[in-house]
Amino acid sequence: MAKDNSSLQATTGTAGLFVVAAALRLLLFTAFPGLPNLLTGRVEISTPVTSFKRLQEGLFLYNHNVSPYDGGVYHQAPLLLPLFSLLPDPSTYPIFTYILYILVDLLSANALYKIAESKEGAISRLYTSPRKEKRWSGYIVAALFLLNPFTIATCVGRPTSVFTTCAILHAVAKALSGNIFTSMLSLSFAAYLSMYPLLLLPPMVILAYDRTYNPKAPKSLGQLAGMCTLVVGGSLGLLFLSSYALTGSWEFLSSTYGIQLTLTDLTPNAGLWWYFFTEMFDSFRSFFLGVFWLHLSSYTPALTIRLRQQPLAVTTLLLGIFAIFKPYPSIADTSLFLSLVPCFRHVFPLLRYSFVTSSVVLYGTFLGPAFYHLWIYAGSGNANFFYAITLVWSLGLSLLVSDLAFAILRDEWEVERPEMRGKEIRQI
Amino acid sequence: MSVDLQNDGDSKPIISPDAATVSLPATGIATTTTPERKEPPPEKEADTRRRSWIVLSFWLITVFIGLPVWWNTTTIYRANLPLTQMTDWADGKACEPVFPLRIALDVGAMPEQEAQNLLRLTQHALDDLNDFSGHHLRLQLAQAPATEAAAASVRDDSNVALTIRLAPGDAAHAASSSLHPHLPILDVQYPPNSLPTANSPSSGLATYIATQLGSTFAEEQNIISYLLETSSITPEHRPKGISQEVVESVSKRMTRQLKYSQTYHLTFSLFTNGPIPSSWDIEAAIDEYMKPVLDMLRPIHNFTIDTQVQLYASPGVQSQVLGKEDLSSFINAAEWPLSPSIGGAPTVNFIIYIGNQTIGVPSEASPAETSQSWMIPQWGSVYLLAPPPAEAAHVSSETLKQPILTFTSHLLTLLGTPQSGSLPLRLSTLARIRSADLLLRASSSLGSLARLTLALPSISIPSNVADGVVKTIQHLELACASLGGGASSQSLEHARVAEREAERAFFEKSMVGQLYFPDEHKIAVYLPLLGPIGVPLVMGLLNEIKAWKSRRSQKLKAA
Amino acid sequence: MKLPLALLLAPLLTLVAGLHTSNWAVLVGTSRFWFNYRHLANVLSMYRTVKRLGIPDSQIILMLPDDMACNPRNAFPGTVYSNSDRAVDLYGDNIEVDYRGYEVTVENFIRLLTDRVGDEMPRSKRLLTDDRSNIFVYMTGHGGNEFLKFQDAEEIGAPDLADAFEQMWEKKRYHEILFMIDTCQANTMYSKLYSPNIIATGSSELDQSSYSHHADNDVGVAVIDRYTYYNLEFLESETIGDLFDSYSYEKIHSHAGVRYDLFKGGADAARSRLLTDFFGNVQNVEIDGTRNTTMIDDELISLSKTIARLSELAREEEMAAKNQSDTKPAPRKVQVAKPLNDDNWWTKKLVGATALVGCAVVWGLGSYFEASL
Repeated sequence: MAKDNSSLQATTGTAGLFVVAAALRLLLFTAFPGLPNLLTGRVEISTPVTSFKRLQEGLFLYNHNVSPYDGGVYHQAPLLLPLFSLLPDPSTYPIFTYILYILVDLLSANALYKIAESKEGAISRLYTSPRKEKRWSGYIVAALFLLNPFTIATCVGRPTSVFTTCAILHAVAKALSGNIFTSMLSLSFAAYLSMYPLLLLPPMVILAYDRTYNPKAPKSLGQLAGMCTLVVGGSLGLLFLSSYALTGSWEFLSSTYGIQLTLTDLTPNAGLWWYFFTEMFDSFRSFFLGVFWLHLSSYTPALTIRLRQQPLAVTTLLLGIFAIFKPYPSIADTSLFLSLVPCFRHVFPLLRYSFVTSSVVLYGTFLGPAFYHLWIYAGSGNANFFYAITLVWSLGLSLLVSDLAFAILRDEWEVERPEMRGKEIRQI
Repeated sequence: MSVDLQNDGDSKPIISPDAATVSLPATGIATTTTPERKEPPPEKEADTRRRSWIVLSFWLITVFIGLPVWWNTTTIYRANLPLTQMTDWADGKACEPVFPLRIALDVGAMPEQEAQNLLRLTQHALDDLNDFSGHHLRLQLAQAPATEAAAASVRDDSNVALTIRLAPGDAAHAASSSLHPHLPILDVQYPPNSLPTANSPSSGLATYIATQLGSTFAEEQNIISYLLETSSITPEHRPKGISQEVVESVSKRMTRQLKYSQTYHLTFSLFTNGPIPSSWDIEAAIDEYMKPVLDMLRPIHNFTIDTQVQLYASPGVQSQVLGKEDLSSFINAAEWPLSPSIGGAPTVNFIIYIGNQTIGVPSEASPAETSQSWMIPQWGSVYLLAPPPAEAAHVSSETLKQPILTFTSHLLTLLGTPQSGSLPLRLSTLARIRSADLLLRASSSLGSLARLTLALPSISIPSNVADGVVKTIQHLELACASLGGGASSQSLEHARVAEREAERAFFEKSMVGQLYFPDEHKIAVYLPLLGPIGVPLVMGLLNEIKAWKSRRSQKLKAA
Repeated sequence: MKLPLALLLAPLLTLVAGLHTSNWAVLVGTSRFWFNYRHLANVLSMYRTVKRLGIPDSQIILMLPDDMACNPRNAFPGTVYSNSDRAVDLYGDNIEVDYRGYEVTVENFIRLLTDRVGDEMPRSKRLLTDDRSNIFVYMTGHGGNEFLKFQDAEEIGAPDLADAFEQMWEKKRYHEILFMIDTCQANTMYSKLYSPNIIATGSSELDQSSYSHHADNDVGVAVIDRYTYYNLEFLESETIGDLFDSYSYEKIHSHAGVRYDLFKGGADAARSRLLTDFFGNVQNVEIDGTRNTTMIDDELISLSKTIARLSELAREEEMAAKNQSDTKPAPRKVQVAKPLNDDNWWTKKLVGATALVGCAVVWGLGSYFEASL
């Protein structure tokens, strides 16, 4: 299959894949009518800033001419409201919502297909991997995304993070195809929806720069960066303005981004922040909020500098880091990260802990819901049970991220030192 | 974000677009290591520089974002408070607590000259009589004749506490006086021959008026002198009080009365020891016997009212005849729902208990009769009502008359209304006492806040506390300026606002939290969390510096 | 009241000066979980006793961090006993818990003492004391050197407690305080106090544990601590001194401590304080003479009607004058609840759709132009 490069066959193949994936989701939606609501309530899928339930609350208030942020339940971007208010009521005609989410998933898969087909993972402008032959086609990468249980659970649970996922993947895909404007527009959509994608701007700029690089008439990177920042800033400004027009006040800024920045909602989730901040001394709370946010954002410049030659790898690694250290992470973020990992099929032989990583992630996947149940419903455990599992989960993901980073660096290093191929290495 | 971008911009020259060509083994500078081990190939210069940039990017973020964040989030915000001003108020330096009462002398048809003379002599007599400087009676001649209508309408502007209406009476009788029932007027009838001559040093009439005034305001003087005595004002700023004994005599009354509040919640409860009576005509009774008094008090207090009936209520004491000890435990606080917690206003309880118990304490006035009611200081009062005859399930408004009248008088006592003088005078005295009380309390709150600010350096003081203090001082000044007015004076209103603001400032909700945070706790907070971040940062920097030094020495050597 | 009359009363006055008008009790348990049953029982026994001695419920602040009566491991559901004879159910009728469960926190405790509470706090959960209130503060739980744990999650330090008392003193929120604490190393908790008029006592010295008295085999856990047990036995005694003298190492198995130095008059004054000064009901009721009841009569009522009418008239005039002189008063901004309504449904959808279509158009145009480039 991987060798099959005939475009016609590929198109029919992907079309088939999309049909299968959509059918699978539709089946889950219709055959198990209780499943969507069950998954919507899961803390691993729905966070306070993405929950579908909270979206419905906001929607109700919005439809009744009350500020959706009254009541402190809804913390999502205002533009989601008109989108969902155009659909029939999800509680009576859920099928339209289902179709919307399935479409968004397919759009994401399509973008991912383009990303994989661009071969940027192994061959960038400044760097060509010696293992570039080992590559998965877009079809497989898209299949891995669409059939990933995390992605399916996310789709069925209907958090609004799927829109962010879709926007980020399109931003990458557009940057790879050299469409800088749409790429930046897409990135600003993502940033508008969940704020953190703004940190992806530097690798995106480099990606766009590398893909539009013309050796005959080289442009300045600084110029392009400035232009991209302008585009992102401008479109974000427009989005904010239209949000202001929609809700009638600037309240949405503090209720959406403010919540993420100050972590006022401490609903448990798969991340590391909530437990830490339930325990934190009040006088140090704001200080450690600062520390955590700085920690999250300090990876961007360092990784961008280190992996200047492989901007897609920077993006992927950053997405992995965000999935661990974000204030409100969910498995939607994990599935986004995992969807980009197959683009680096060529470095898979260099992964050292693939077994440990996968077992730890599986361990977290199965025990997380169990411990959550013990804590919340059975009452036979306490918060530490669930928190311990989120630690294990984060450990698994960080193992994967660091292992991938190592593999990518090793791959880079072997270009310099071909004689070291396949040998044990030691850090000095 | 700007820093990140800047780093990108900075990184450009180092990793030039044709960096791929540098993948050839570069002739870098070899560092000397132990000869036994196989030498790792020397690091390329581009790599070293790249690492420097990475370390620099971390440090830039730490220094330019991290440090300000740390500084902003861990410093305790302490708004600037006018501490000296606050202490001045508390010590009584800011406002002379003197209550000048203006008293108008309405001489009727008396010639101007004589009137002035009388005024001067009476003022003299008053000053001689009064040894408490905090309370000062000042006489003036009334502008207009004190008719009833005029007194009612001009009272507010003139700020006159009392008008003395002189009228010549029968020459045979000595001077006599009476307080007007519903206006602050003292009617004095004097024998025409007692008027002082132009240059006599004293006059019987003047002395008489002065004595009358003195006794009229004696109670007010005592109370105000007591308030000053117990306030935070330092003795040197306190006006000379009367005697210690007199001051203390008021203290019993002060312990009895409720703390001032603009609104009180009155709860009328009917408790019966059996199934009947189960209803009462309380609304009509209150309207009839209490409402007028409540209306009258409106400039000073507001009231909200609720009522309840509870059947089969057993009191805390079961004995048939209640001794004095029993009375204090008569209220069954455990079973009677007496604290409604409605709103923020303090509750005054009025309880009518219908049962067979009687009070066994003979009253001093008439030992044969026993009283039926008692008052509980700062709480309310209880009235024992005999069971109605013949299974009557309804208590009529007429039956309730005596209890409600008793309650009304208790309410006046609980509110601290003076007991002597005519009703309008008592009211205006009450207003003055209350504004003095509030003024002193607000001042003392300011002092407490000032001392607390100095005593607890780790407590944060939000800006609205400072706002509250400023507002308090502003209103205190206004109240101080209009001290000594009547019932509808601005002084009470300003003092009320001042007191409320001072309380709000002192009890600011956010001024709590972990006040005490020892340094070892700080280390315990910082170290485990910042250690893992700090160590690589510092080590990275140290390595960079070391590498830079060795490079420099290499260069020097080479040179 | 005339001057001579006041002078007559003078001899009575020294007594009057030291009067307090109300007694309050703050009873705090700080531990959760079933095996700390005894701490809850300690608090509830104290609660029962002070209530029986006459402090009304409205003046008792009870903080119970856990609900032992409804614990699934309780063999006697709905009850709490502090003695293995199980004669008295401490959890009977009329238990008014003011702060329960996770409301029992250090912050809430300090807020209670200093009265730094929001407007939403009902009066029944506040310590509405003044400079004439005596307060009995009883705490029990797990503690250590200069701290007392709250709920296994946080702790109050001795300096925090001392500062809270100081704030109360500054704001004249108490007349005298009797502070009693039953926990390990309890005496360290009051060592940092520095505000006047506090008598403090604790169950054990530094590095000493506080022990339980006995266990009930059917309940399965210890039901009361020694110190509290013997305190309860002696609360019927006359003075504070008597109570403190009853403490002995043989009974309590630790060295109970007492601190008098903050009290005005020192040890002697403190020891001679009656226990009822803190635990009893101090209502100095005033019985009306039959004469007194006629103080207000019909005449007075009609009088007040006239006065009320006059002042009403005056106020109306004043208002009229004010209305003429003043322009409109600044409109007050009041936050009102917005009604839910479905108005502007279509405009709303239209605006929303326009915004969305705008986004889509920008996206489409961008793609189109970039594709054509």
